[in-house]
Amino acid sequence: MLSTLELSPQTLDAEAPVRIAVKNLDFYYGEHKALKNINLDFRDRHVTALIGPSGCGKSTLLRIFNRIYSLYPEQKATGEILLDGRNIIGNDVDVNELRSRVGMVFQKPTPFPMSIYDNVAFGIRLYEKPPKSELDDRVEGALRRSALWDEVKDKLKSSGMGLSGGQQQRLCIARTIAQKPEVILFDEPTSALDPISTGKIEDLLEQLKSDFTIVIVTHNMQQAARISQYTAFMYLGEVIEFDATNTIFMNPHKKQTQDYVTGRFG
Amino acid sequence: MTMATSTKTMTAPHVEWGRVRPARRTADRMMKVIATSFTLIAIVVLFWILGMLIVKGLGGLSASTFTQVTPGPGTEGGGLANAIVGSIVLTFLGIAVATPIGVLAGTYLAEYGKASKLADLIRFINDILLSAPSILIGLFVYVILVEPFRGYSGWAGGVALGIIAIPVIVRTTEDMLRLVPGSLREAGAALGAPPSVVITSVTWRAAKSGMVTGILLALARIAGETAPLIFTALNNNFWFSPNLIGGVSNLPVTIYQFASAPYENWQQLAWAGSLIITVSILVLSIIARRIVRGGK
Repeated sequence: MLSTLELSPQTLDAEAPVRIAVKNLDFYYGEHKALKNINLDFRDRHVTALIGPSGCGKSTLLRIFNRIYSLYPEQKATGEILLDGRNIIGNDVDVNELRSRVGMVFQKPTPFPMSIYDNVAFGIRLYEKPPKSELDDRVEGALRRSALWDEVKDKLKSSGMGLSGGQQQRLCIARTIAQKPEVILFDEPTSALDPISTGKIEDLLEQLKSDFTIVIVTHNMQQAARISQYTAFMYLGEVIEFDATNTIFMNPHKKQTQDYVTGRFG
Repeated sequence: MTMATSTKTMTAPHVEWGRVRPARRTADRMMKVIATSFTLIAIVVLFWILGMLIVKGLGGLSASTFTQVTPGPGTEGGGLANAIVGSIVLTFLGIAVATPIGVLAGTYLAEYGKASKLADLIRFINDILLSAPSILIGLFVYVILVEPFRGYSGWAGGVALGIIAIPVIVRTTEDMLRLVPGSLREAGAALGAPPSVVITSVTWRAAKSGMVTGILLALARIAGETAPLIFTALNNNFWFSPNLIGGVSNLPVTIYQFASAPYENWQQLAWAGSLIITVSILVLSIIARRIVRGGK
C-alpha cells in the first residue's frame, strides 16, 4: 500500500514562517463538541492536507479559518487561531474582510448565475475599484493561473453555469485567486470531479503554493501524498498526528495513523 | 433439522390461478371510469364557460370596443376604451405598490427571519391575507383612503389591488429564494461579500425567473378583481382624470354593472370585456410558465 503512494519530492522548508497558528481550539455545534483542543501550525506557502475518516472534524476545522461557520448562529469556536499574529476568532474581527484574505473553494463547484467574467471579477469588485483595463488584466491573469483561459477566452460574456463541472471548479479557483488572498482553503475540491479534471486541479495546486498558503481537506490519501508537504491526521475531533507528509505516510509515529494511511480503517 | 423440512420451507407454496375474483376487477375498472367521468365534468364546465365567453364575447367585439368610451344609459354603440386603459393603470399601480413590499418581505423571510418566531408569525398572517375575501380589503381601503379624502380615486383602487397582490408575491419570493442552494450563499460569503451583497447580486439573480413569475401571477390575479374596486376606484362612463382623482373606469366593475343592465349594447360590451380580461390573464399565465421553463 505504502509503495503505491506517489510521494511528492521533499520540498518543505522547515524554516518557513508560520502563517496560521491554531492554539487550544474547541468547536461546538450547539451542545455537541466537534473539535477538541486542536493545536496546529500552518507554514507559509506550503500545502497542508487534513485527512481522516468521515466525521473526524477536518471540514469543520477548515470552515473555522474563514469564519464561514459564523453564518450559523448555533456554531461556536473557542481558543485561538492566529493569522499573522491576529486572533481571527475574536469578536473584533471583520469576518468579511477576513474572508477576502482567506479564500475558500468548495466540494461542489459554485459558479454564480452571471457571466464568466463577472464571476471572476466579483471578489475584486467587492474590495477594490480598479479601472476597466486593470480589471480585465486581473480577470485574465486569474483565469490563466487557473488553466481555464484558453477554454473560455472567447466566451467571457456567457454564463458561468454553462461550463462543465471541472471547468466550473477551475472558475471558482480563478474567482478566489483573483482577489489575491493570503490563504486558500480547499474543501475536498475534486471529490465531485472526474479523474482528468482532478489531475488538472492537482497540477494547479502545485502551481499555487508558490504564492499562497494552502490548506486542503481530502478523502483521497494518494491526493494528500501527492500534493501536500504537511499532513494532519484527525480522528473523532482530535488531531492524532501532524508532521511532514512523507513522515505521516512512510513512517508515522502513531499506530492509528499507520492503520488509516495503509487503509486498515477509515 | 433435517434437509427435507428445510428444502420444503424454501420452496414457494403452489397457488392455483384465479385468486383475483371478477368482482375485484370490476371494482377496479369502475374506479377508473368514475374518476375519468368526474374529470370530464370539470373540463366540460370549464370549456362551456370558455366557449360561451368566446361566442358571446366575439359577437360584442369590434374596432369601436377599443376606441370608444363606455356608453351612458340608453346611448347607442360605445366601447370599452376607458375601462381597458383604466384597468391597465389600476393593475400596474397595484403591482407597483405590491412588488417592493412583497419581494422585500419574502426576502426577509427566506434570508433573515428563517425559522425565527417573528418569521413564523409573518408567514401565518400572510397566509390569512392570501385567503382574505377581497371585498373586505375593498372596505378596508374605503375606510382609510376614500372616506378621509372624501372621494373615490384610482390611487385607492391601486392600493386595494396591491394589498391583494402582496401575499402572493411574498409567498412566491420566499419559496423561490429557498430553492437557491445554501452552498451558493456560502460561496458568496467566502469571498467576503456581506449578506446584503450576497442577497442582491447572487441569491436574487439565481431566483430571478421564479420571482418574476410570482409577480406575473399576482398581476393575473388582480387583473380580474372586482370587489376591491367597487369601494375604491368606482367606475364611470367617461375618461378618468389623469391625476386619478375621482372614479376611474375599469373592466371588472364595468362588466358587473353592464351585465345586469337592461340595455343590449351594455350586455354585449360586458361579454366583450370578460373575453378581454380572460385572454389577458391567459397570456400572462403563458408568459409566466415560459419564464419558469426558460429558467430551468
